[in-house]
Amino acid sequence: MIPLQFITAFLMLFMGFYAFLYKRNLLKLILALDVIDSGIHLLLISFGYRLEDGTLPTAPIYTGYETLKGTPMVGPIPQALVLTSIVIGVCVLALATALTINAYRHYGSLDINKLRRLRG
Amino acid sequence: MMLPFLIIIPLLGAFSMPIMSLLGEKARNAWAILVSALTLGVASKVFYDVWSTRQLVVYTLGANTPLGKGVNFPIRILWEVDLFGALIALTIAFVGFLAVLYSIEYMKHDTGLDKYYTLILTLELGMLGIVITGDLFNFYVFLEIMSIASYALVAFRNDTWEGIEAGIKYMFVGSLASSFILLGIALLYGQYGTLTMSYLAVKIAQNPTLVGRVALGLLMGGLLFKSGAVPVHMWLSDAHPAAPSSISAMLSGLVIKAGGIYALTRIAFSIYATSINIKTVGWLVIFFGCLTLIVGNAMAVVQTDMKRLFAFSSVGQIGYILLGIGIGLAAYGTKIGDIALAGAIYHTVNHALMKALLFLTAGAVLHEAGTKNLNELSGIAKKMPFTSFAFLVGAAAIVGLPPLNGFASKWLIYESSALYNPFLAAIAVAGTAFCTAAYIRVIFTFFGAPSEAVENAKEPGKAMIVPMLVLITAIIIMGLLPWQINDRIMLPTVDMLKDQLHYVIAVVGGA
Amino acid sequence: MFGYWDALYFIYVLLIGLIISYLVFKWAERSSMGTRRTGNGTKIFLSGEDEDNVVPQFEHLKGYFTGRHTMWGLIRGINRMFIAFRREHTGLLSDYVAYLFITVAIILGVLIIWG
Repeated sequence: MIPLQFITAFLMLFMGFYAFLYKRNLLKLILALDVIDSGIHLLLISFGYRLEDGTLPTAPIYTGYETLKGTPMVGPIPQALVLTSIVIGVCVLALATALTINAYRHYGSLDINKLRRLRG
Repeated sequence: MMLPFLIIIPLLGAFSMPIMSLLGEKARNAWAILVSALTLGVASKVFYDVWSTRQLVVYTLGANTPLGKGVNFPIRILWEVDLFGALIALTIAFVGFLAVLYSIEYMKHDTGLDKYYTLILTLELGMLGIVITGDLFNFYVFLEIMSIASYALVAFRNDTWEGIEAGIKYMFVGSLASSFILLGIALLYGQYGTLTMSYLAVKIAQNPTLVGRVALGLLMGGLLFKSGAVPVHMWLSDAHPAAPSSISAMLSGLVIKAGGIYALTRIAFSIYATSINIKTVGWLVIFFGCLTLIVGNAMAVVQTDMKRLFAFSSVGQIGYILLGIGIGLAAYGTKIGDIALAGAIYHTVNHALMKALLFLTAGAVLHEAGTKNLNELSGIAKKMPFTSFAFLVGAAAIVGLPPLNGFASKWLIYESSALYNPFLAAIAVAGTAFCTAAYIRVIFTFFGAPSEAVENAKEPGKAMIVPMLVLITAIIIMGLLPWQINDRIMLPTVDMLKDQLHYVIAVVGGA
Repeated sequence: MFGYWDALYFIYVLLIGLIISYLVFKWAERSSMGTRRTGNGTKIFLSGEDEDNVVPQFEHLKGYFTGRHTMWGLIRGINRMFIAFRREHTGLLSDYVAYLFITVAIILGVLIIWG
């Protein structure tokens, strides 16, 4: 079957890259950072989904009701990695928003083409 | 074991800093100095252990055999230190301690200093974590800790437009580069199923695929950004002048080495060494190194802002290190490759000391005279003789004058590149010519006739003189014993770095 | 080990250099001080201009000199390269991101095609 999750993840990545190159508003750049991070997280989580003997896997929680060779589980390691990465993404976004507010106070506009005093 | 204390002590110090600053200013300064001095002690003990026994130190965060008695392989986050990591950790702790000591007096007129000391200890913590880790995702977490602390520190003076603009530019493109690194790590996980560096090396050697090479390309792109190679060096020339000078010393001397050069070398030598066409990767790194040498040093000649000149000079020196690593990769296994790699590692340590001294000197001048425009700063040597002498020692060391420490590492890189391909040696010497021109302009400005702006300048206080004195002493002593340092420290480092077999066996245990 | 380095040879060369620079200093003092014995005019000028010697129809620089005009031969000789480099450092964020993408594209291209 078509691996829709990978296609969606890469589409999100490309949307984020396009927005980073061609948009000028600082808030749109912050949103582009967020979309890129979400794309990579989707890619990581979907690497844990593996089909064993044709049965679909379930969430990796031991409930005590499993039979011996019954239900396979989704890989839990990428979920731990993604949780850590979401926290890092939140931290970066918070700092970026704070810097954007400060930049508006100094420059009076949110246009990235106006922040050009440091050059050469 | 002493290894977890290398992370515990700065972490505890950083998070208890706001509480300590409630007790007053002197308590906060004393706590910062105490924590960084203890970190320096632990780092030197770890370095001495690894150096005297020449064995890898492996530390598992958790039980050693979690899967039971049959399987010998710890499926955990590991820390694995060899001589290269221990050497860079010692440099980080040393320059970090001097930067904290310097900023006690330099930042006296700023507010919000408890957040400043928290951030500087977090920056040191992130860098120490990168150089001792043996697991790729742990490396990414520590890389982000270091990067976020440095974004906040560059924009620390948020009442000036320069700090905010440099902080925004550094932050946005830096986060994008970190996303590239995370994408590379995600692709490696998807293909091979593990992220421990040693086990990944085994799996890649058994099954090299296209996805592995794409992941290497993405990782290299992100890490070349973090180390300041051309053409992605432009954040460096904006961010390093805008930060406070003690942070500039740490950024320019340590962050681009620990987060960029160390990670690139570790991934190229210990994970991917024999599974890819190592000549191609070597020539790619040599190409970027040559570009960096020419553009970085040439742009330093035409600057009028003193700290921006030093930042471009940093970019140029990273070109030497990349050239050395590239030749070490392309001539893997031969004596020329060993010498080039020893030169690159030696230049990493040397440049950390030299650039820290130069930025501390620039901070002293800025603190006293109030301007960093070279057109107004003429004749500062009459009013601040010790600072000018420190600048003279630092500039002579970077150019490569013999009794100082820059000479030995540059000589190794010149010789190995001349033996490998003479065209590269010509580019390296052209880079040194531009570098000399840039520093002669600054020296000529300092030793001229005094102008109006430097009328009120005097020598800075004791807390700013002592770090410069310690660095001058270290540079002169390291310069008087170059070949002993090379034979006893650098060449064994190269041997342990190339020894991918022992790196893997220390963890996987011969399975 | 490649190369040969001995501290004593460098001390010899340093001493000879100090003696030569002292002789040049004495020669410059003799030829530039003229009849002046006190004041600002007794200093030996590094930039080729005598402070009290006003030549008519030429611009007479007073005050302090910075290093702005040293190494002017190097800069003016390859001025087109410096102009090209300064033009590339635009300061726009989109240029920084574009260079990052170009670098990653070059690295991926080389790694996929060769090696």
